Amino acid sequence: MSPLATNVALPLAAAERWWVGAIEAFVVIMILLLTFAFMTLIERKLLGRFQLRFGPNRAGPFGVLQPFADLIKLVRKAPFRPDRVIHPVLYLGAPALSATMAFLAFSVIPWGGGWELYGFQIDGQVVNLPISLIVIFAIGSISSYGVLLGGWVSESKYALIGAMRAGAQLVSYEVALALSVLGVVLMSRSLSLTGIVAAQQRTIWYIVPQIVGFACFAVAGVAEVGRAPFDLPEAEQELVAGYHTEYSGMRWGLFQIAEYVHMITISALMVTLFFGGWLFPVLHRFGPIWFVLKLAIVLFCFIWARATLPRLRYDQLMNLGWKVLLPVATVNAVATAFFVVLV
Amino acid sequence: MSAGNILVWIVWFAAAVGCIGSALAVVAFRNALFSALALIGNLISLAVFYLLLSAEFVAAAQVLIYAGAVMVMFLFVIAYVGWDKDIAWTGGPSWQTLGGVVAAAALLTELLVVIALGASNELAHSNHVSADFGSPASIGRLFMSNHLLAFEVISVVLLVAAIGGVILGAQKRRDRKGVKR
Repeated sequence: MSPLATNVALPLAAAERWWVGAIEAFVVIMILLLTFAFMTLIERKLLGRFQLRFGPNRAGPFGVLQPFADLIKLVRKAPFRPDRVIHPVLYLGAPALSATMAFLAFSVIPWGGGWELYGFQIDGQVVNLPISLIVIFAIGSISSYGVLLGGWVSESKYALIGAMRAGAQLVSYEVALALSVLGVVLMSRSLSLTGIVAAQQRTIWYIVPQIVGFACFAVAGVAEVGRAPFDLPEAEQELVAGYHTEYSGMRWGLFQIAEYVHMITISALMVTLFFGGWLFPVLHRFGPIWFVLKLAIVLFCFIWARATLPRLRYDQLMNLGWKVLLPVATVNAVATAFFVVLV
Repeated sequence: MSAGNILVWIVWFAAAVGCIGSALAVVAFRNALFSALALIGNLISLAVFYLLLSAEFVAAAQVLIYAGAVMVMFLFVIAYVGWDKDIAWTGGPSWQTLGGVVAAAALLTELLVVIALGASNELAHSNHVSADFGSPASIGRLFMSNHLLAFEVISVVLLVAAIGGVILGAQKRRDRKGVKR
């Protein structure tokens, strides 16, 4: 007899077969890794164009083989470890934790409406949970430990300052980020990302009624990922490289993977919450294609912001987070609640 | 025993071992930061228990709020202040120690009662759980009906804590200004 309640609702009890989900997870992780690899190239290319130069163009035609050259270089680098690290297991565990959590968070993002293939049900996401939005935030809050630990365990001034900055920034902007999506949750009356997309199919994309929430989400999202203009945790001019100063080779690569996958996940979340996810007025069957197109546009804006906006000062960062974003997001949530109840 | 049941047993056993092991580690580590990390592990294994009790929302909230937000503050402060700044043991049992012992004894009694009830099958009817048990909507309804007073009292307590923090911070800032003059 089981020691527990009879109707245990493990995520495994989904409509699709568990091994279909496993294959799906594998494919999604591979696609994410490829997206990461080519994001580094596209980012360098675009930054080059923004600065009136070419960017990488030596490896292969138009430099498309650059990510593979980078990978081979990273793998072959000597993985050194400073003598003074506080604990070797934590030193290795920090980047691993970061990367694992980054991949885990993407698993609940819906990128299609689901299909039936040779009699097997294939869902449009790896796992479908009734509270997937909260799960994303929970995983995100765990993944910040990777950065904090990595910076602290390196026992280096720059790394420690970077980790402290990252910790303060993540704590400050997590609140605003969570409050900014509250409006969407209230309007769709669902905490499930699939449910939110379905609600947008019935009404309109939430960018229209939730434009204020979207603005807060966009700013807080960039800060949460720690990308320019909010890249204080790894400000090159002040901190060498911030929390990953003492990492090299693929250990550093894992931190890099985590950062980019985190950025892709936040962008995918933005597409899902405000731009209708995989929806498009025509050709519903091709949901993933619409999803990827919208995702590409959002990711382009991430790079665009990095190329054009100067980094914030630390006090400006805190003022923006606590005195602008938080009140605006709160007022937006309260106003939406009134609207939903009264109208 | 079905395959699903065996899986539940395995997950339950792993969570139980993780929970007790990390709880021991919290008190056993000399380094405060390792203790904090063990506490994170403890909170996450508790979240697994909530998941097994079909309270997914509570599990996610546990990870988000306790293992995530609260423990980040712990780690932040420990890393900032320095984990090797040990405060010497002043000796002697204080009222806090006595209170701790009383609370632990109460918990132990409660545990023993529950185990005894479970052994005599008096808790068997609790196996029936409705479909929307633990969903955000049903938890919200409970907060706004049966547990409204506790919910409101907690919000006042949190408000007091926030105002207290502001007052302490303002006090320190005023002192520093006084020195400057």
